[in-house]
Amino acid sequence: MKKYLSIITITGAILLSSCGDSLDRFPVDQLVEETAFTSVSDLQLGLAGAIGSYDPDNFVEFNSIFTDNCKLGAFSGGQELNTLNQLLNADGGDRGIWTSHYGTLNDFNRLFAAAAAITPTSIEVDQYNNILAQSHAFRALMHYELLLYYGLDMRDNGSAGVPYVDYVSADATPARNTTGEVLTAIQADLDAALSLFPAGTTDINFASPDFVTFLRARIALESGDNTGAIGFATTIISNYSLATPAQYVGMFQEDADTTEVIWKYDSVQDSNLGLTGNWNFTGLDGFIEMSNELAGLFEGSDIRTTVNLGGNSDASTNYFSIGKYPENADTQAINDFKAMRVSEAYLIRAEALARTTQFALAAADVFAVRSVRNGAGVNPSYPNVQLALEDILAERRLELAFEGHRYIDIKRMRSVLNTGIQRDASDCEGAVPCNLPFNSEKWIFPIPTVEINANTNITQAPGY
Amino acid sequence: MKLKLTWLMTLFMAFVMQLSFAQEKTVTGTVTSATDGLPLPGVSVIVKGTSRGVQTDFDGNYSIKASTGETLVFSFVGMKSSEKKIGQSSTLNLSMAEDLAELETVVITGYAGATNSSKITSAIATVSAESIEQVPINSIDQLLQGQAAGVNVSTGSGQPGQSATIIIRGRNSLNGDIEPLFIIDGVPVDQDNFRSLNQNDIETMSVLKDAAATAIYGNRGAGGVILITTKTGKKGSGVKVQYRSLYGVADQPDARFDVMNASQFLTFQRDLLPGTQFGDGLSDATIAAIAQQSNTDWSDVFFRRGKTKSHEITVTTGGENSSSFSSVQYYEQEGITFGSSLKRFSFRNNFNASSADNKFNFATNLTMNYSVSSFVVDAVRGNNTGGQLDNPFIVPYIGLPYLSPYNPDGSLNIWGTGPLGSGGSGAFNADGTLNANGANGFQNTPFIALNTASLGSDLESEIKIVGRISGDYNFAKNFTIGTSFGLDYTNVEDLFITPPNSIRGVNTPNAASLDKGTQFENFYRDISMIANAFVRYDNDITEKLNLNVAIFGEYNYNNRQNANFQAFGLNPALPGSGAGFTSGSTSEGPDNDVFNYIPTVGSSETELALASTFATLNLDYDNRFGLGASIRRDATSRFIENREGTFWSVSGRWNIDNEAFMENVDWLSTLKLRASYGVVGNQNLGANRRYIGLQTVNSNSGYQNANSYALGTLIDPAIKWETSNQSNIGLSFGFWQNRLSGEVDFYNNETTDLFASKPLSTAGTGTTSVQTNVGDMTNKGIDLQISYNILRQSDTNPWDITLNANGNYNKNEVTSLPGGFTGNALRIAEGRSAFTWFLPRWAGVNPANGEPLYLDLEGNVTNVYSPDNAVYLDKNFDPTYTGGFGADIRYKGFSFNTLFAFQADRWKNNSSLAIIEDAGLAGFANQSTSLLNAWTTPGQITDIPALSNGGLRAVDGDRYLEDASFLRLRNVSLSYNVDRKVLEQTKVFTGVRVFVQATNLFTWTKYRGFDPEGTTSTTFFEFPVPRTFTLGFDLTF
Repeated sequence: MKKYLSIITITGAILLSSCGDSLDRFPVDQLVEETAFTSVSDLQLGLAGAIGSYDPDNFVEFNSIFTDNCKLGAFSGGQELNTLNQLLNADGGDRGIWTSHYGTLNDFNRLFAAAAAITPTSIEVDQYNNILAQSHAFRALMHYELLLYYGLDMRDNGSAGVPYVDYVSADATPARNTTGEVLTAIQADLDAALSLFPAGTTDINFASPDFVTFLRARIALESGDNTGAIGFATTIISNYSLATPAQYVGMFQEDADTTEVIWKYDSVQDSNLGLTGNWNFTGLDGFIEMSNELAGLFEGSDIRTTVNLGGNSDASTNYFSIGKYPENADTQAINDFKAMRVSEAYLIRAEALARTTQFALAAADVFAVRSVRNGAGVNPSYPNVQLALEDILAERRLELAFEGHRYIDIKRMRSVLNTGIQRDASDCEGAVPCNLPFNSEKWIFPIPTVEINANTNITQAPGY
Repeated sequence: MKLKLTWLMTLFMAFVMQLSFAQEKTVTGTVTSATDGLPLPGVSVIVKGTSRGVQTDFDGNYSIKASTGETLVFSFVGMKSSEKKIGQSSTLNLSMAEDLAELETVVITGYAGATNSSKITSAIATVSAESIEQVPINSIDQLLQGQAAGVNVSTGSGQPGQSATIIIRGRNSLNGDIEPLFIIDGVPVDQDNFRSLNQNDIETMSVLKDAAATAIYGNRGAGGVILITTKTGKKGSGVKVQYRSLYGVADQPDARFDVMNASQFLTFQRDLLPGTQFGDGLSDATIAAIAQQSNTDWSDVFFRRGKTKSHEITVTTGGENSSSFSSVQYYEQEGITFGSSLKRFSFRNNFNASSADNKFNFATNLTMNYSVSSFVVDAVRGNNTGGQLDNPFIVPYIGLPYLSPYNPDGSLNIWGTGPLGSGGSGAFNADGTLNANGANGFQNTPFIALNTASLGSDLESEIKIVGRISGDYNFAKNFTIGTSFGLDYTNVEDLFITPPNSIRGVNTPNAASLDKGTQFENFYRDISMIANAFVRYDNDITEKLNLNVAIFGEYNYNNRQNANFQAFGLNPALPGSGAGFTSGSTSEGPDNDVFNYIPTVGSSETELALASTFATLNLDYDNRFGLGASIRRDATSRFIENREGTFWSVSGRWNIDNEAFMENVDWLSTLKLRASYGVVGNQNLGANRRYIGLQTVNSNSGYQNANSYALGTLIDPAIKWETSNQSNIGLSFGFWQNRLSGEVDFYNNETTDLFASKPLSTAGTGTTSVQTNVGDMTNKGIDLQISYNILRQSDTNPWDITLNANGNYNKNEVTSLPGGFTGNALRIAEGRSAFTWFLPRWAGVNPANGEPLYLDLEGNVTNVYSPDNAVYLDKNFDPTYTGGFGADIRYKGFSFNTLFAFQADRWKNNSSLAIIEDAGLAGFANQSTSLLNAWTTPGQITDIPALSNGGLRAVDGDRYLEDASFLRLRNVSLSYNVDRKVLEQTKVFTGVRVFVQATNLFTWTKYRGFDPEGTTSTTFFEFPVPRTFTLGFDLTF
């Protein structure tokens, strides 16, 4: 019997010893958050991740396809139909911008949290400060863009804006901050960025002091601070010159020239925005094309015609592919997104001047851009603010086509011009809507249903 | 070497002469079967009250030393034991009768092995070898379709060897694993990969359905468990060699839609379709001439008759103390389109041995398999969506009918034709040069698909090994200890080649690179190991009361590794070889600064561990009452804060038929009431989420392709298993000597801590949701399994007819979900079945103007499409009713078997059809003939809107939501067993069976497409399940 007891004992020991440390399994291919960030170089990796999660492509896509700049392409297999059909609803209609922007913000906020626990050595201080400066600048940019699309009124500081988020949480349910609160926080972030940029921060692939100034010019224009817009735009204009036609072509082909670029979102092999894919299959086979109307507005003498119209366009069949982000000589469509160009600063200043009835100066700024692009460009003169804005809007349409501005430009000017989106009849055949009234609810993006469902503190935009 | 020894030992034992005991005389005799008079080998002959025993040889003869007056006990599985007293004669022949009660069933249960069905307290369905052997379906899970009540089997692709999705008693999880745990001979195996295994090796499959059966599998049992037991030899049965073969063909299923022919399509383009397209301005004569020259039905081109063949040799041995089963199979099956095939070589050896006193038992099971699968670009392969232009199954829908699939010389055209404007496919410019973009363009679809199928390679070579060694020792009276070690090894090597001279190759790595093409290889290795030890106590405490208690310890470990590379720029002269790769440091371009050939590489590894202790208890009182209980404590590496869980069950039975008051009820053979309740878990909360308890940070490439860190998916650190609280009440019945028998079970499974999305404020947290234990869901339903043996074969009656049927009704309801619902069109919503459709309602076409009409929320007709008008349609993706039925008819040597399978009340979105009823695509894609009925004149009643409305796919609401219910003649076979008397004269064969069978011969459905089955809620050009015809024979020596 003793023998049996010992057998039972041994068996039992085997049974019980099977538990224990063998259950602590840690991922081989991933890091665990608690131990991921321990040095400044880890923070640098975090910065690459956070900036990498920003997706300006959505704006390029939406602003062109939702508006009168695009029509259904000859090669359409149904791609982007919802946007072309101006379906803008709370169930994914916002192209995921809310989600991706707050996701990016979360990345930056986690980076701030990680940085707080790290003390840089003296040789790391510049790198450390730059990481923080970049994070502040991008946090400002994210909030500005959210406010621009989801805020109820950029020009009313008391109106409902968007939640301003500078914290990390697993369960926060923030309400909308007022527009004024968000704008103030954005300015604070921009001030912090300026104070942290190490001397000589000029890489146009990242945020820089000029990036901050440019962003402030945009914010000033959108929020109705015309004086500020004029001031910031002037600073930019004095630092950068407009590209010559050759430089302009070079800028969009091969990303060869950066004369007039203040900030670009860098595309490289294997980390490519793939901008042309917003409209085209391989090789400019457009499932979405440039609208007939816009194609008609590009004059032969205008260098922008060459850049915007794809080489395979054929006016006889009304085939107009969008060629702004072409394949390079090595046939890879790797294009930087030139997000801030000095020509925009001219047009910002022109608009701010026009809105403050300084028509001659406004016209001069418009002509400065127009004449450098189009040798036959007409020198305008503005009798009133409506006609001035109309002309500036038209110039912006050509100058900034397919760069993520059209919807926002119409939105900003619609209260003066009393027009919404009006597509040419030939651009809205079939189920494609021809116009979006200037008072449509679709000028303010709906808060996504997922946010509404999870966050009882948030209020939906009117009309959704 | 070990294997060789096993073989030698096996053979030796089979032929070894029995040692005998010194007694007064030798009794000899022959044991035969009472049914057919044939000798019975392997019958155990024991002198009662002694340990002396022998077994009959192949001819049923035995020889044993015994004294006059002693009694011989004859016993054999499936036969009534009988006792004979030894008289003066030294010859004692016996004719043994079948024991119908025992024949009824032996049920395989978890960790207890074979158990007499009357002792079972849980809900278990058994599928036996006969119904799955030699069926040309190469995935064990697929074979279960229609075979067992409550087992819903769907297959997503007709690729040979495709694994099915099995849902037992309704979907028990939303985002976690829904499929059952599969266990082959005690080894848990990958639930999604059976293509390399030989189904002819299977003896039985047991489907464990309720907690009483599955709680012993703890946090892996909530979705049910399928126990697969492979064949073994029977002790004393001698050597039996069998050769089995199968030859067959696979054909395309019926298409339940019509596309236009060339003449219809061009006339349609010219006369009806707005816009500019090829057909415009063509005269009738021109159209007729084009249609005369090429009028292609692309189905004819892309579907082929696939061949199947199989050769198998099995050797079964049975000696005095050991037995073995060995099989070797070569199997080859072609899919119904070019480039789809499965070839495999399977090997199995199962060996069992016992000590002379039967106290020590030892077994090994080993299967080693090698298979090569060749894939096409089908909808469920990798990350495919079905919309790939090289998907062969998109072409029968949209391939332009006026393009010819042939070159002028009659060979297959795999490149395409001239410019679009002149009626070509756009692959070539007018000057005859290849247009790289045109070749990859939409209109060239048929040729892209042909090109990829002809030139590309997408292969998976797999080595699959499942093995186990187990032993147990009855070391003391009533006590047994045992241990086992098992392994499931899967190694898959993917080889994917886009060759340089192919359509997909011309732009790879990019159009300007001098060298073209790409080769991708992935090395995947998955090892699961299991070690188990137990102590069992089994004792008849009183004459009537039996107690069986066992405690177990178990450790499971899984390790999965992947390594891959992708190289670019292949030398066409060295296909598939690294010697042909262009170096990654090669630069090109005007400034020699473009690197086109930088290879990509990857490597990853994950682990899982599970440590468990568990115990079972079974009490039987007088064969009338039984009580079962189990408890298991699982500790898993998946979770951190909630690592350990306890799962348990209790169950009972009342064998009413064994009650004294039922003794005289002749017509009732079996009546057993069962009830069970238990708690089971599901720890597999997503196949690739093995570290779900840890907040991870991913190392990736970020901005400017720099190395980066980014937060992994947000997790809840308190995450734990899903809990399924399952109750079951069942009745097993058998009337008239079990001629009518069956089981009916009522169940109620309540899943709590359901792993689902908890919506988060994206603004506040940076993410839309976190997956954690938040919801509740119930599955209530009925399983019914019934079999009626109308005629039973006997000496006087050559006919045997059995009808059988099984069915399941399941009502699924999500009872609690934060946020009320998730999803858009296909929703999971509180108070409704999981995966229910939520869409705006299509209301046809306005006869006045041809506009599409919809219903608004109140049900009023409107011409405005709005997503806000979406409503719950009360139509679900998962079927409410599933089951199967069939008949087995035997007449003399002939046997005719049918199996029908059905799924009913199941709704899928038919996006394939939407594509061919889309005027927006009609300029460059073939369309359904239904578009010829498009609205043209006021007052016209039609269901196709005026074509001027353009493409309506984005605004079609529930227009293409279709009833995907189906009834399928899953398998029908006719076989003939050559009469044994004829075989005796051959002196070679002991059995010859010849059969013909058809699989998926007919399918009845309203669904418009090739195949209503599928596993996706939205159909998009899937690879349909084929219809196969096979002929085979089994020769036994």
